[in-house]
Amino acid sequence: MTNENPDNQSRRKFLRDGFWVAVLSALAAAAAAVLAKGRKKKYVWQLDPAKCIACGNCATHCVLNESAVKCVHAYAMCGYCDLCTGYFVPEPKALDTAAENQLCPTGAIKRTFVEDPYFEYTIDERLCIGCGKCVKGCSAFGNGSLFLQVRHDRCLNCNECAIAVACPTQAFKRVDADNPYLLKGK
Amino acid sequence: MKERMGKFRSGLLIAFVLILAVAAGVIAFLLSDTSGTHVALGPEYTYDIKQYAEIDPALILYRQVGETIETDFENTHAIAVDAEGRIYVAGDERIAVYSADGNVIKQIELGAEPTCLAIDGNGGMIVGLSDTIEMLDAPGVETARWKAPMPNALLTSIATDKNNIFAADAVNKVIWRFDRKGNVIGKVGEKDEKRNIPGIVIPSPYFDITMAPDGLLRVVNPGRHLIEAYTVQGDREWFWGKASVGIEGFSGCCNPINFALLPDGGFVTCEKGLVRVKVYDADGHFVGVVAGPDQLGWVEPLRVCETPEQCSSKGFDVAADSDGRIYILDMVRKNVRIFEKE
Ligand code: SF4
Ligand code: SF4
Ligand code: SF4
Repeated sequence: MTNENPDNQSRRKFLRDGFWVAVLSALAAAAAAVLAKGRKKKYVWQLDPAKCIACGNCATHCVLNESAVKCVHAYAMCGYCDLCTGYFVPEPKALDTAAENQLCPTGAIKRTFVEDPYFEYTIDERLCIGCGKCVKGCSAFGNGSLFLQVRHDRCLNCNECAIAVACPTQAFKRVDADNPYLLKGK
Repeated sequence: MKERMGKFRSGLLIAFVLILAVAAGVIAFLLSDTSGTHVALGPEYTYDIKQYAEIDPALILYRQVGETIETDFENTHAIAVDAEGRIYVAGDERIAVYSADGNVIKQIELGAEPTCLAIDGNGGMIVGLSDTIEMLDAPGVETARWKAPMPNALLTSIATDKNNIFAADAVNKVIWRFDRKGNVIGKVGEKDEKRNIPGIVIPSPYFDITMAPDGLLRVVNPGRHLIEAYTVQGDREWFWGKASVGIEGFSGCCNPINFALLPDGGFVTCEKGLVRVKVYDADGHFVGVVAGPDQLGWVEPLRVCETPEQCSSKGFDVAADSDGRIYILDMVRKNVRIFEKE
């Protein structure tokens, strides 16, 4: 048993407590810095469908060989038409899935029967090159439910988007990465 | 010793997996083409409708008479003409009545956006205000008002005879038949296999009807590209029409969007997409063109809509008077042009 000076004991306790306060403060500061960094808004490129005229540049000007822009479908706006002008060439021989009747040059749109006389149209993004041909057909005669969007599962978020530079209608803009799509019918 | 060897082996395995992952990442990055070569799209990627949109001038049988009437509406929804040739335009929250030379005769305030309009036999008006029907006398004073039976109704056209008021509901794809007091006394156009009625298909909110002097209701079935005739009890008597971008057909997913009856029983039709107003005889045979893009002041023969609003709510409406003159309301430009047979 040692008979220690109570003054020494309280100094050691003070140093020990101070050490832990300093460590915890440093940790809190680091955590706050990380959180603040995480909370700092990140922006990504997106195209505004209300401004897009489906000029074709989205297919050809992306830095990726296969454009990050794809056709997307606002189902809530779709008429589920038998004669879908985004799916069929202007004067189809028959309303069937024969290649000669399809508007999409890459066969990226799938037509599925729902119930008479309604059909659902879905985009196979692996085949879509973002040319906008179907978008034009749908906007000209239909409800405009087919439109283009930058798909963020593949977009590199270039510092300067090459399509934005080439876009004739200035449809490209930076949007919040937490909300990266500008959807029609919302 | 055994334990140390086990630890060494698993360490080696982790290192190996890490090296593999890094190598895969590097290869994937090197393989991804980010050169952006800008190869132009081939002709197969062009949406070309021009060959169908052009109208042979020999087919144009009408010419515009008088000046174009430029209205001061922000939104227009319907046009009608009365027996004296006065032009009624419904839009914003009012009806404006014009003389044939474009002077405003009177304005009738409605208190809500009108969606359709018909001239009543007694000189009054019947207006659709989304889900509500309002009857007005000739000076424009409300005489009756009632709601459509379904709360989500969107009334896009009204037709009437001595005993009935018919209202086309684009949301519920049905024509409500009311008596003159507003009681529902029937439905027309609803799918009914037993009565051989295929049902109305309405991809976008255009659904036009007119009562013909023969007592049959003429109904556009836009998604089927048909004009149909129904008895007031709802029996489907006959139909005509075909889908085609060719001049004789109705283009796109759903056309015609609006139509009017001519004194000889023929039809005047308006389409969305292609800018063309055409005439068919009473049996549905194509007769000729009233106006195309040139006559209606459109540079482009194809009106591509660029916003959802443009895609679903803008086009042309048409009316005809007892002399066969045709009145075309351009809902985008908010003007009215009058055409006469050459
Ligand atoms: S470049 Fe602009 S206008 Fe052309 S398709 Fe892309 S977003 Fe639309
Ligand atoms: S037409 Fe063009 S934009 Fe539309 S689905 Fe096919 S490739 Fe994609
Ligand atoms: S940011 Fe880069 S990768 Fe993304 S769409 Fe634009 S050019 Fe393509």
